[in-house]
Amino acid sequence: MNSTVVTYLSQSKELTDATAWLSKVLGLDASSLVAFIIFAVACLIVVGLMSTIGGLGTYAERKISADLQMRVGPNRVGPYGILQFLADGVKMILKEDIIPSGADRFTFILAPFLCLVGVFATLAVVPFSSGFILADLNVGIFYLVGMASLVGVGVFLGGYASNSKWSMLGGMRGASQIISYEIPATITIISIVLLAGGLSMGTLIGGQGGMPQEWYLFHNPFAFIGFFVYFIAALAETNRAPFDLPEAESELVSGYHTEYSGMRFGLFALAEYIEVFVVCGVATALFLGGYKVPFDLGTGAILVQKLGLNEMLAKNIGQILELGAFFTKTLALYYVVIWVRWTLPRLRVDQLMTLCWKYLTPIAIFNLLGCAVWMYAFDGRSIFSLIFDATTVVAGHH
Amino acid sequence: MFTNTLFLLSAALTVGGAIAVVYSQNLMHACIYLLASFFGVAGLYACIGADFLAATQLVVYAGGVVILMLFAIMLTGGTGNNINRYGLEKIAAMGNKKTYFFAGITAILASLVVLKIIANVLKDQPSTLLTSNEPTVERIGTILATDHILAFEISSVLLLGALIGAAVISRPRKERHD
Repeated sequence: MNSTVVTYLSQSKELTDATAWLSKVLGLDASSLVAFIIFAVACLIVVGLMSTIGGLGTYAERKISADLQMRVGPNRVGPYGILQFLADGVKMILKEDIIPSGADRFTFILAPFLCLVGVFATLAVVPFSSGFILADLNVGIFYLVGMASLVGVGVFLGGYASNSKWSMLGGMRGASQIISYEIPATITIISIVLLAGGLSMGTLIGGQGGMPQEWYLFHNPFAFIGFFVYFIAALAETNRAPFDLPEAESELVSGYHTEYSGMRFGLFALAEYIEVFVVCGVATALFLGGYKVPFDLGTGAILVQKLGLNEMLAKNIGQILELGAFFTKTLALYYVVIWVRWTLPRLRVDQLMTLCWKYLTPIAIFNLLGCAVWMYAFDGRSIFSLIFDATTVVAGHH
Repeated sequence: MFTNTLFLLSAALTVGGAIAVVYSQNLMHACIYLLASFFGVAGLYACIGADFLAATQLVVYAGGVVILMLFAIMLTGGTGNNINRYGLEKIAAMGNKKTYFFAGITAILASLVVLKIIANVLKDQPSTLLTSNEPTVERIGTILATDHILAFEISSVLLLGALIGAAVISRPRKERHD
C-alpha cells in the first residue's frame, strides 16, 4: 500500500479508537469512510493552502519587484500591504464578466479551468512531508509531468477561443514553448530517477539525506548541471520571465489572457503562481533533499530516545520539522524565480527555441548518459562519500 | 466499492467523450471531448492496476497528441464552413447520416467477428478488476530492456525516421543557382 496521509494518521491510537467506535455505532466497517473523510479534509487543506500561497505569490511578486526597483510597492491594505491579494480577489470577483462576441464560448469558459485543474491535479503527489502527501503513487513524478501538460492545453485553448490576434499569438507561443521545454525537463527528471531507482516521490526523496552533501544536487557533477537545466526548463514551462513570451506586455498586450477579465483572468493568474510553487517543490524534492531534515529528526526516533517523549508526539514534531524544511527550500526557490523575472530581459522567439533545442536538450541527454555511467562506474555512490573514503585511506597511511 | 465507482466514472467519461466527439459539429470542440475520452481511458487503466500505463496515457495523449491535434486543426483551418465553393454540402470530417449508417453496420459486424474470436479467451478468464496494487513500473522496465529489446529499439528507429522526415519536409529548400 502506498503511503498517504491516511496511512500516517492511522498510526495514532486515537484514530483507530475513533474508527472502531464509529464502526460500532454505524454497524459496518467504517475504515473506508474515515479514510474518505480524512482525504477530503486533507484535499481541502492543500487546495486552500495552495490558493493562499498563489495569492501571496502575487503580493510577493509586487513587493520584491518593488524592492529591486527601489520602489515601495503595495503598502496600504493591511500591515505592509499584505492583504493586497484579498483586495485584488474581491475586485476580480466583482468585475463584470466579459466574453467577446466573436469568441468560441464553450472553449473560452473551459480554458482557465483546464489550467487550474492541471495544476491542482499535480498537487496530489507533491510531497509536503513524509506523512503529509495526498498519494505517494508508484508513478508519482511521471503522473505529475502528465498532469502538468494539461496547462499547455488550457493556455492554447484560451488563446484560440478569444478570437483576438494577441491572444492567438500568445496561445501558440505558450503551447509550443511548453511542449518544447517539457523535453529537457523530463530528461533531467529521468536522470534523477536513474539515481534513485524509482518513480515515486517517496523513493526519490528517500535516496537523499538531510545534510547538503547527501542531496542529489551534489551527488555527481551531472546531477549538479541537471539542476540548472531543470530550473531553466521549469521557468519556461511556467511562462515566467525571461521566457514570458506568451504574455509579453510590450508586444502582445498580455498574450493568451488579453480578452479575459474578472475571475476568469484571476484563475489563469492563480494557476500560474501555484504552478511555480509546484515546479519549485519538484526541484526541491528531486535535487535539494525534499522534506528531509538532518539527524533523522523527521522520524522522531531521536526525540523519543533523548527526551523520552511520547512516540506519536515525537513523530508529529518530526512531521512539522519536515514541513518546515520543505516549505523553506521551496519558497527560497520561489524567491529566486521572482528575482530572475525582475532581473533578466525577455528572450526572442528564435533565441527561446535555440536555447531549448540546441543547448538544453543536448545537455540534458549528456547528463542522462553521464549519470548512467557514474552509477555504473562508482556503484551509485555520491562524490562526497568517495572523497570521504579516499581521505580516510590516506589518513590511514600516515 | 471505490474501484466500481472509479470504473463507472471512467467508463462514462470514455464513452460519453467518444460520443460527443462524433456528434460535435466543431472540430476544435471534438478535440476537447477527445481529451476527456483519453482521460477516461487512463482511468480505466488505473482500474485494472496498470498505473504506469495510465500515467503514460496522460503524458502521451493528453499532453502531446491533443496539443498537436489542436495545432493542426487551427493551422489548417479545420473549423468553419461545410459548404464548398460550388454551394454543395461537403461530406464533413465528422460524417453525415449516410456515413454514420454504414459505419454503424461495419462496427457491429466487426465487433461480432472480434467477439467470436476472443470468446474462448474471455470464457476461461476470471475477472481481473484490480486484484493487487503492486507496482508495474519495474516489471515493464525489465521486460522492455531484456525480452523485448529488439521491438523497443526498432520503434525508436521508427520515431527517429519520423523526426528526420519532418525536419526534411519543413526545412526551407535552397534554390539552385544554375
